[in-house]
Parts: sequence; C-alpha cells; structure tokens
Amino acid sequence: MMKLSRRTFSGLVGAAGALSAFGLSGCANAPKVVVIGGGFGGATAAKYVRRYMPDANVVLIEAGKTHFTCPFSNTVIGGMNQMALLERNYDVLANKYGITVVNDLAVAIDPVTKTVKVKGGTVFGYDKLVVSPGVDFKWGALEGYDEAASAIMPHAWKAGPQTVLLRKQLEAMPNGGVVMISAPANPFRCPPGPYERASLIAHYLKNNKPKSKVIILDSKDAFAKDKLFKEGWEKMYDNYIEWVPAAKNGKVTKVDAKAGTLETDFEKFKPAVANVIPPQTAGAIALATGLADKSGFCPVNPNTFESTLHKDIFVIGDACMAGEMPKSGYSASSQAKVVAGAIAAMMMGDKPAAMSAINTCYSLLAPDYGISVSGVYSVQDGKIANIKGAGGVSPSGAAYQFRKKEADFAGGWYASICQDSWG
Amino acid sequence: MKRYLVAVPVCLGLAFLAVPAKAAPINVMADACSGCHGTDGQSLGAMPGFNTGAPDAKSNAELKKLLRDYRSGAREATVMDRIAKGYSEAQLDAIVDYYKK
Ligand SMILES: Cc1cc2nc3c(=O)[nH]c(=O)nc-3n(C[C@H](O)[C@H](O)[C@H](O)COP(=O)(O)OP(=O)(O)OC[C@H]3O[C@@H](n4cnc5c(N)ncnc54)[C@H](O)[C@@H]3O)c2cc1C
Ligand code: HEC
Repeated sequence: MMKLSRRTFSGLVGAAGALSAFGLSGCANAPKVVVIGGGFGGATAAKYVRRYMPDANVVLIEAGKTHFTCPFSNTVIGGMNQMALLERNYDVLANKYGITVVNDLAVAIDPVTKTVKVKGGTVFGYDKLVVSPGVDFKWGALEGYDEAASAIMPHAWKAGPQTVLLRKQLEAMPNGGVVMISAPANPFRCPPGPYERASLIAHYLKNNKPKSKVIILDSKDAFAKDKLFKEGWEKMYDNYIEWVPAAKNGKVTKVDAKAGTLETDFEKFKPAVANVIPPQTAGAIALATGLADKSGFCPVNPNTFESTLHKDIFVIGDACMAGEMPKSGYSASSQAKVVAGAIAAMMMGDKPAAMSAINTCYSLLAPDYGISVSGVYSVQDGKIANIKGAGGVSPSGAAYQFRKKEADFAGGWYASICQDSWG
Repeated sequence: MKRYLVAVPVCLGLAFLAVPAKAAPINVMADACSGCHGTDGQSLGAMPGFNTGAPDAKSNAELKKLLRDYRSGAREATVMDRIAKGYSEAQLDAIVDYYKK
C-alpha cells in the first residue's frame, strides 16, 4: 500500500483534482458553497465563507480570467492611472484560501436540483449558492443605444475595454471638443460615479484641452453628494463642467451612435465624445433564474440576503435590492460578509447574527480633492436602513487640507478593499 | 480500497491549505470595518491599521479610547466619527477585542 507507483500517484492526484473541480468533497458532510461572480461581492463571499468555515468546499465561478475594478476606473479615464492598477486576479483566493476557481460563464442555475451549469458543460452541486453577477444593461431601453452603439459611444460602466475606449476618445479629441455624459435615472451602479467621472475628465481637460468642456445630461434633478460636487466644481472647474438636470430638459431620450448624436425632448447635440450610461438590471444570470422581480433587481431577506424567490440562493451586490444601501463595491463586499456569516451559521445549525454592514463611497474631484458618503446599516422595521445619527457626507466648506486627506484615504480604501476581497 | 485512496488525499489536501483551524470566530459586525482597514486590520495603504505584531501597535485600551472619542465627537476625524456613531460603546469594545484577539 505504501508503494505508490508513479502511475498510481498521478492517477490519484488526477482523481482528487477532478473531484474538487466538480465541486464534490471527499470529506463527508463538508458544506458545498458555490459563488457566481468574482467581483467585489463574489470574491469577498468566497474568501469569507472559507474564513468562517475552514472545512467548506467553495467553488468560485467567474467568467473573466481577471477582473478590472470599476472603482478607480475614473482615474484611468482622467489619465491619472493606467489600466494595470485596476486588474485583479484569483491566485490568492485559489492558493491561500483553497477556493476552487472556475474560469467559465455560469449559464444555468437549477434551484430544484441545486446545481449550476457552466458554458463548458460542467455541473456543480451546492448546499448554498451566492449570486453576485453585478449589473447588465437594458439595451434598447434608451432608444438607439444597444451593444453595437456602445462600441462607438462607450458606457465604460463595466471596467475593461470600454474604459480604454473612452480614454482613447478623450485623448484623440481636439482642444475645444465637447464631452457629453448621459446619466441615468435611479437605481443604478455607483450613484456618485457619473459626477466623479465628469470631475476627472474636467481635470484632464483643464490641464490639456482648456478650450473643451464636459456637459452632463441628467435624467434626475438631484444626485449623490451633489452639494459637495457643486462646491468643488465652482472652485476648480467653473468653465469646464455644466450639469443639466431633468427639469431643464437634461434627460436623453434618443441616441444615434452612427450619426454621433444625443437627443433630449427638445434638442439634438453632436458632441466630440459621448459617454452614455444606460439603464441597468441585475446581471443576466439572475434574471434567467427568476431571481429578479419586475424592477429588474432581486428581492432578498434583509437579514441574510437569501432570495425571497428561491431558497438557498443568496443574492448580493449590485444585483440585489438592499434597502438604503447604495450599489457600490463597499456595499457588495460588506453584504458578502453578512452572507458568509449567515451561511456558516445555517450550516452549523445556528441562528445568523443580526445583520450589520457599512458602506462608504469616496469620490475624487481631482487627484488631491476627495469627498465621501458613508452609512452604517442594520435591519429596522424589516428593512435595511442607515442607523440614525451615523454616516452622512463630508462637511461642506471644508479646508483644502481636509479634501486632500480624503483623497489620500480614497487611495488607502482602494488598497484595503482590493486586498480584503481578492488578497 | 481505491475509493479510500482517493477520498483521503482530498481531505488532507484541504486541511493542508493555509487556512485557520475549524470553528473560526465569526464576527460580521467587526469584519465590515476591514473594507477600509484591511483583512484583520492589516492596512496596506494610507488607512491606519491595527496591526497586532508591530512594535508601535496600539493596545486594546488605546484603540477603545480612540473609538469612544470618535463616537462622542471628542476626536476629530475625516470619516471615523461618522462610522463610530453607528455603534454602541459596548459594540466598539467587542470589535476591538475581535481584532486584537
Ligand atoms: C465608474 C465607476 C466607479 C465606481 N467607483 C466606486 C467606488 O469608488 N467605490 C465603490 O464602492 N464602488 C464603486 N463603483 C461601484 C462598484 O463597481 C460596484 O458596485 C461593484 O462592482 C458591485 O459588485 P458586484 O459583486 O455586485 O459586481 P461586480 O464587481 O461587477 O462583479 C461581477 C462579476 O461577475 C462576473 N459574472 C457576471 N455574470 C457571470 C456569470 N453568469 N458567470 C460567471 N461570472 C459572471 C463578472 O465577470 C464580474 O467579474 C463604481 C462603479 C463604476 C461604474
Ligand atoms: C470609510 C473607511 C473607514 C471605515 C469603514 C472604518 N474606518 Fe476606521 N478609520 C478610517 C480613517 C480614515 C481613520 C483616520 C481618522 C479619520 O480621518 O477618520 C480611521 C481611524 C480608525 C482608528 C484609529 C486608528 C489609529 O491608530 O489612530 C480605529 C481604531 C478605527 N478606525 C477603527 C475602525 C473600526 C472598528 C471600524 C468599523 C466599525 C472602522 N474603523 C471603519 C477609515 C475607516
């Protein structure tokens, strides 16, 4: 028995590898947890399930070989950083945390047999499934804006080639060209995101193309941290940013990518660069599984994030409806920990602890000018809500030193959360 | 026999990986802080960490005092005051104990 021939040995390793790759455990009763999506929500969930339940068998299914974070992608668009800053891989999750990382697209979830099928054909069984696919776009909901149009007028609302495309268009634009950003109605991924983007584009224009400007055509009349953004714009970008609210006819109703035009109810524009941020839904796999309601997002139990539509499936991040928590990377990763704790408790036959989560969104208006909005959340009257007296936005009228500190902390936050999720 | 041979290495394989022993403490409330301060408070960047090993590491008592002062407003901050107000003093103490375990 101790004389393992080379053949037996490799056969053995092969068999063991195949078993774990199939998401089955050789150990009796090891809980099987499958996670779909390796972004902020999914990566954090996989890691923290293993931290809370070291003997759990965790499979992380992610379509991309690497993940480009949306956080800090606006700094790439503004020319302050390179794409490499945004790229995360799954090596640490696989090697240090013992997570089986499957680089494939999940194409079908069967909530009855409790299995997930990937494009490559493999089927994974689960005791508990975490779904964190982020958002997908409602192509065509804005007339004329479909996937083909986004190759001409980028959304850059998923980081990657779209980020690069928008950056290239800004670089190629002549001094004097106008940039237009079409901002969607609520709810959407990263409520302050369009305004941070406008700021960092303006920063680039001010230093490189001073005859140019950014115009935000908005489907809303108010936006996240709007007082603080306007204060900073007045200080730094007086002639560079113009915000047109819905009430002043800012809502874009039609797009013609080939002609290069954006239309509101009364006007037609032909900007040099158009960045169209389209309306969004939960990621396609959530819709296909019937995890979303007619809003396009997924209703969940506020204490555990278990779907109210399918048992043993937990939806987190941008795809779920989390009461007052905004759709952010911080929210997604904080929700992932709530889910990891709830799953561990359930698997051990305990009651999950009370829901407790944090969100903070930093926004940069310039490399040395940061602002933030924060919240601490619990379940109140059956809904996820900010704890009274906690959270809120950075002070108005603060001195330069304060804004500078928050810009530094924004970078610190990005380093920490990337490490906390993928490292 | 063959089944046995296959099953055992898988268990060993899992036990071998660099993960903490069973029955890891679960503290979702405390782990929410690590989005800014890093896993186990080991911040890599500009955020202050609560590194346990470092020679200049603050004691439990010092960290508890800082958090109470952020909560009451006695200590100025860019964001920690807004966060600390979401917890009772007892909760903040428990969070420090979890990180400095
Ligand atoms: C410009 C911009 C700036 C932002 N800045 C910030 C910020 O500063 N701070 C902040 O907190 N948030 C920010 N956000 C928001 C943040 O990016 C999202 O809220 C966050 O990514 C949500 O996490 P998630 O896990 O829900 O989805 P994601 O992080 O998008 O991850 C989803 C993952 O799932 C994968 N996937 C999807 N479907 C499948 C499938 N069927 N099979 C396999 N894999 C699949 C995708 O490839 C992707 O990797 C910003 C967003 C934008 C657009
Ligand atoms: C949004 C990011 C963020 C979150 C979330 C956050 N902190 Fe902080 N923390 C900071 C920053 C920034 C400072 C420095 C003071 C300031 O400017 O607010 C700080 C300071 C501290 C300090 C003082 C450290 C020292 O050595 O001076 C402690 C302790 C601390 N935080 C604990 C916590 C705990 C516990 C939580 C969770 C309940 C938490 N933090 C959540 C950003 C954060």
